[in-house]
Amino acid sequence: MTDSRFRVAAIAVAAAAAIALPFFVADQYQLHLATLIATYWILVAGLNVVVGFSGQLSIGHVGLLAIGSYAFTILAGQHGVDPFIATMAAGAIGATCGFLLGLPSLRLPGFYFAMATLAFALIVGELSLAEQDLTGGGAGLAVPGFPAPFDTPGGFYWLVLAMAALVTWVTANIARLMWGRALVAIRDSEVAARANGVPVFRMKLLVFTFSGFTAGVSGALFASLQTYVTPETFTFELGLFFFIAIVVGGRGGILGPFLGLVLLTLLPEVVAPLARVGNFFYGALLLVVVLAVPEGIGHLVSTLRERFRPIKVEKQPVSPDLTRLATAIHAGKRG
Amino acid sequence: MLTVLITGLATGAIYAATALAYNVMFSTSKVLSVTTGHLSMLGGVFGSFFISVLKLPIPVGLAGATMVGIAAGLVTELVAVRRVLSRSDEHLWLLSTLALATMIQQAVGLWWGTEPKPFPRLIPQDFSAGLLDQKYWLPVAVVALIAVGLELLYRFTMFGKIFIAVSEDAFAARARGIATERVRALSYALAGVIGALAGFAAGQLTFAFFALGLTLTLNGFIALAFGGLGSNAGALVGGAALGLLSAIATYFFGGEYQNTIAVGLLMIVLLVKPEGLFGKKTVRAV
Amino acid sequence: MSVLVAQAVSKHFGGVAALDDVSLDVRPGEIHGLIGPNGSGKTTLLNLLSGYYPVDDGSIKLGEIDLTAARVQRRAALGIARTFQKPRLLATLSVLDNTMLGCYPGTRAGFLETALALPRARRDYASARDRSVEILHGIGLGQILDRRARLLDHAEQRFLEIARGLAMKPTFILLDEPAGGLTEAEIKALSRIVLTLRDSGIGVLIVEHHTDFVFRISDRVTTLNLGRMLKHGAPEEVRRDPEVIRVYLGA
Repeated sequence: MTDSRFRVAAIAVAAAAAIALPFFVADQYQLHLATLIATYWILVAGLNVVVGFSGQLSIGHVGLLAIGSYAFTILAGQHGVDPFIATMAAGAIGATCGFLLGLPSLRLPGFYFAMATLAFALIVGELSLAEQDLTGGGAGLAVPGFPAPFDTPGGFYWLVLAMAALVTWVTANIARLMWGRALVAIRDSEVAARANGVPVFRMKLLVFTFSGFTAGVSGALFASLQTYVTPETFTFELGLFFFIAIVVGGRGGILGPFLGLVLLTLLPEVVAPLARVGNFFYGALLLVVVLAVPEGIGHLVSTLRERFRPIKVEKQPVSPDLTRLATAIHAGKRG
Repeated sequence: MLTVLITGLATGAIYAATALAYNVMFSTSKVLSVTTGHLSMLGGVFGSFFISVLKLPIPVGLAGATMVGIAAGLVTELVAVRRVLSRSDEHLWLLSTLALATMIQQAVGLWWGTEPKPFPRLIPQDFSAGLLDQKYWLPVAVVALIAVGLELLYRFTMFGKIFIAVSEDAFAARARGIATERVRALSYALAGVIGALAGFAAGQLTFAFFALGLTLTLNGFIALAFGGLGSNAGALVGGAALGLLSAIATYFFGGEYQNTIAVGLLMIVLLVKPEGLFGKKTVRAV
Repeated sequence: MSVLVAQAVSKHFGGVAALDDVSLDVRPGEIHGLIGPNGSGKTTLLNLLSGYYPVDDGSIKLGEIDLTAARVQRRAALGIARTFQKPRLLATLSVLDNTMLGCYPGTRAGFLETALALPRARRDYASARDRSVEILHGIGLGQILDRRARLLDHAEQRFLEIARGLAMKPTFILLDEPAGGLTEAEIKALSRIVLTLRDSGIGVLIVEHHTDFVFRISDRVTTLNLGRMLKHGAPEEVRRDPEVIRVYLGA
């Protein structure tokens, strides 16, 4: 069908543009920004499965980012572990922490869960300041880079891009296959989810653990990109930023949150007054979206189309095809 | 050690007040607003602004801070709750109050500054009073008065009775002609009064600080969850418990582990008795 | 062939007995109607059978298997499907996607297989899609496979919920007021669908207020009143019973 061929072509073009990006950016800063977006996206793509699909409103994921960053820095920087292994280890540690955080809190109702994640982010911040021997306290730690050919800005960008592409592919699989529908059911109607055999808690915990993994990997790459980490880097507002990017971009999709992330990162760069106002702008944007287009900007086109749709297509009465129905039922008969 | 306990009780008082504000708003809307902590933050910041900066007399400053609290409560109801409750998506009010809370906190940070500023002396008293300093007993006294006031309101006034009717069964209340939307708005305004008064009374202890909003939203919630959602007695007990525990932990382990210990407490309570000390178990309808 | 049985079940909410010592069974290949005035406990019984509330007393069995303590998902896995009084659909997903949710109990792929799009996950998806398409065409919604569920009218939503239930390869399907809000023509279509389900060997339990509809298609009818069983038997018997007429059917 032309629709899916168009999709494949669009993805190919976008991929080509992304790969070629280092060659046509104006300066180092822009390349750094692009790499930063790609790094953030690794976390946001995983968080998107949790927030956008299973509907668990985790506002404290910055804590997992911090854990990944510090894990990488300590392993690669202070113990000489190979950066690639350190990155995977950071992912594993992030996953473990995600699992431990999710285990008690995913059973709680929405507000309780959000507060638990907020508390988690604040605790991680507290501990990274307090445990000076481990994290360098307020002074922070220097972060090593990756070996050649990833030790140049362009090379590192391509490394992050490759990881981001992989994570995107994985989340696209989750969304497209049966898990996608099960997760949306958990988000929109737990009653329906249970009625259709969906193991609600187990699924929430699994995707939350996965989001811990992506946050850990993202943290490792983020730390390497910034070359220095301190507790001040990982503010609650940063975690809120990731969350808002997803909601503004649109829950239930992947392109939407990506566009949301790009938009939220680039707007303050391009519109100077927004940079000064910073987090106020993000809050205001979230409010506007929630009140006006709760499904997010990614769905704006279809939302507008529905609202201004002309007189509905002539209604056809439901006319069953009983033979076809009987055949369909028998096709799946249980043994 | 006595200082520790007194400090704990005083900070616990603000947590308790925040929990009371949560209860008031929750009972008419079934919404837990992220802006709850910000009501107290505004009371402290604007109290300091009116009295120390604009040099207005203290009673005027108090009235002004309370007005700001009421305004914040009403804006929460109007903007973040009313429009959103009619939609079917359950999560929306969490997002809208979160957005509003962010806007309030950031706006105050931009205008007032991000450093904590001192709060003026409210009652003539020199600073050598030690444990009898008003910064300790003012919050406790004010919150105790608020709690008593709420009880009297519910038991002896018309508004109180209507309020209880709406909180027990909004549908039935509406069927009997009660304007539930207006009651809800008024309850949010009341929560604004509670928060602002507590923030004003505690200003000398907490200083006028924009970041207090989120901290109180979280700690007030911990106090609420500990004591049990919907219980005012639970709010007071939860606040006191949290305040004392934090102060004692700070004394023994240093202030760096405050959040960790507070949340640890919460997690233990939620695992053992999820509805809190005095809360009621709810049966979910299908 | 296993029979789905609720044996002497009771359920209290607060001080009120919603159900008191009620027994009911559903056999494969039959339509069992459940009627009664509002508040008689019909939907509560459905909720007990499907597992949303635990029973206070009595037992739920599927053949030899004791389901009394089994959670909702386990009962779904054993082939007990249901619809709801107010349709619980996923508003942002399409008709096809909503139906495919019903195929979830039949899937085998875990997280890793899904994340990496391994063959088993892809097979789960493909067979779910094919089965759902066939069922939707059979039930009469084949023209609107891609329409978002929130745009459906009332009848379409009800039929979609039934389609989703069928996607599960059920041995039993519990319908909660499926005719609510339907026109005469739509009820006719519903009747033909429910009869096809019965003839395919599925055990159907219908909770309904539309007594004509229920009496017309049921093989057996049970009446509840105030949480207790009133009368049970063939439709004609129940219809003519004086107690049933007094309490529910009217003069």
